[in-house]
Amino acid sequence: MQESFSTLGRHKAVTFLSVVIMSLSLLVLAVFLLATDNVFTFFERTRQEMTVFVYLSDDLSLSDEVSWATVEDHHKWLLSMEMVEAVEFISKDQAMEEFRNELGEERSVLDVLEANPLPASFRVTLKPEYRDKVNIERFAGAVTTMDFVEEVNYGRDFIEQFASVTRAFLYVDLVLGLIVIVSSIFIIANTVRLTILSRRKSIEILKLVGATNRFITAPFVIEGAFQGGLAALLSLVLLFLVFLVLKGMLPDLTFLGLSKILLYVLTCVMLGAIGSFASLRRHLKL
Amino acid sequence: MTDPLEPRKIFGVYHLSKQYGDRMVLRDVNLQVGNGEFVFLVGPSGAGKSTLLRLIYMDESPNEGQVIVGSFVSTNMKRHDISYLRRKLGIIFQDFRLLEDRDVFENVAIAMRVTGETNYNIKRRVMQVLTQVGLYHKRYDRPVTLSGGEQQRVAIARAVVNSPEILLADEPTGNLDPEVTAEIIQLLFRINSAGTAVLMATHNHELVKNFGQRIVFLRDGTIEEDRRLGLAAFKKDRIGVFQHVGRTAGDGRDMREDR
Ligand SMILES: Nc1ncnc2c1ncn2[C@@H]1O[C@H](COP(=O)(O)OP(=O)(O)OP(=O)(O)O)[C@@H](O)[C@H]1O
Ligand SMILES: [Mg+2]
Repeated sequence: MQESFSTLGRHKAVTFLSVVIMSLSLLVLAVFLLATDNVFTFFERTRQEMTVFVYLSDDLSLSDEVSWATVEDHHKWLLSMEMVEAVEFISKDQAMEEFRNELGEERSVLDVLEANPLPASFRVTLKPEYRDKVNIERFAGAVTTMDFVEEVNYGRDFIEQFASVTRAFLYVDLVLGLIVIVSSIFIIANTVRLTILSRRKSIEILKLVGATNRFITAPFVIEGAFQGGLAALLSLVLLFLVFLVLKGMLPDLTFLGLSKILLYVLTCVMLGAIGSFASLRRHLKL
Repeated sequence: MTDPLEPRKIFGVYHLSKQYGDRMVLRDVNLQVGNGEFVFLVGPSGAGKSTLLRLIYMDESPNEGQVIVGSFVSTNMKRHDISYLRRKLGIIFQDFRLLEDRDVFENVAIAMRVTGETNYNIKRRVMQVLTQVGLYHKRYDRPVTLSGGEQQRVAIARAVVNSPEILLADEPTGNLDPEVTAEIIQLLFRINSAGTAVLMATHNHELVKNFGQRIVFLRDGTIEEDRRLGLAAFKKDRIGVFQHVGRTAGDGRDMREDR
């Protein structure tokens, strides 16, 4: 320990250079993490917005009292399902109102209509754990068979695409992540080589006086971990600058949360230690 | 076979051959050194002296034959064992091999630090050895500020700080002028008279021929002559050596610590 920190102090220039180079290579990892994090946030948000529209048969005349009671029953029935988180009733009039708002300027085209052609509906939100293709289809299947239901719309195409897109992204992301991590180790190992070569003579002397491999490697591994941590912090500063620039183009972009930052720093500390160790093995036949 | 009057062998090489590529650097070399013996290894440049020493401290392994140092046998060494072997040896070189970024004290202390010795013992012993080589007053100096002779004395202090039974010296005076050379050789004799066996390689026969010590001549990787001294000559020579160097260098203290 004492050995490690005293050698650190002795080679400030080399250490500083290593940390800068490391932080640049780690920036790639950091940007990768930021991108992954944001894409997953986006996926999550999209999943939250997934709702199922249950359109009611038009023969329910929704102005009379009896029908209102039936609507209440259907509402309760839907809400009683385990999967369902919330149910909102949208009457024909509300549907028309929303449609008008969506049309905006062109809403005058609706004036020619004699009757309201839009059906009433329930907007059903499933509990988050059921917001996937299989469960949505099960829900839709069960509800479609009811005679008060005209049609169930949940954006089948969208959900199918969403499922395959998220799956594909996950695989690509894992492979990319692996590549980025391996190349970071490689770059760090090469950076540490600078430090090791600058101390090759000292290491040879240590071997000569009977130092064990562990005695020689331990300070380097500790120093590698330390440099990895420093480089992580520096790369986070750089990442934040990158983030600010990107935020101008993508306003929805969010920065890494505290737990992810900690995980990232920890990873870099590990990468620094592993990189040092790998480099020592390669260059000193320790 | 072994003469019971000869000192117990402390290390030796047996039918040792070493090859670099196609080039045979050492060829069936046999050499044993007794406990407390002083041996000069003499030969022209390229004879294989340094290679032989490297094989003894097991920086390299032989193509054929065996090196035995104390309880360590080259044919049966694990990586880890080499570190422990090195702690039983003192080694010095022509180029001193000191840690430039540490002071004299630390340069000597490092040989004890690697063994996990306590700070208290390290301090005590390093101060003692530095006093013996006459560098106590320069203990906080950096090696670069020292003369060649002083640097070599630091290296010697480092080599003997763990009280080794064997000291290997590869051309230790190669970078030093004659006066300093004499001082260093006297210091080696002093270490030897405290019981440490010394094997010193040099290409300078003139320098060492009159000390009366055993001289092994190496040429083209083979031992040409092993000029041994009989027991009588050995003893007489010891006295001669004391007369030769004892007055100036000896301060009456042993280089080896009694533990
Ligand atoms: N690592 C090596 N690879 C290839 N050849 C080597 C190696 N080490 C030594 N040699 C060769 O082995 C021969 C003996 O070298 P060595 O250093 O042992 O000689 P030496 O007797 O110590 O010479 P000097 O007095 O110049 O130090 C030389 O020809 C040298 O070129
Ligand atoms: Mg040599």
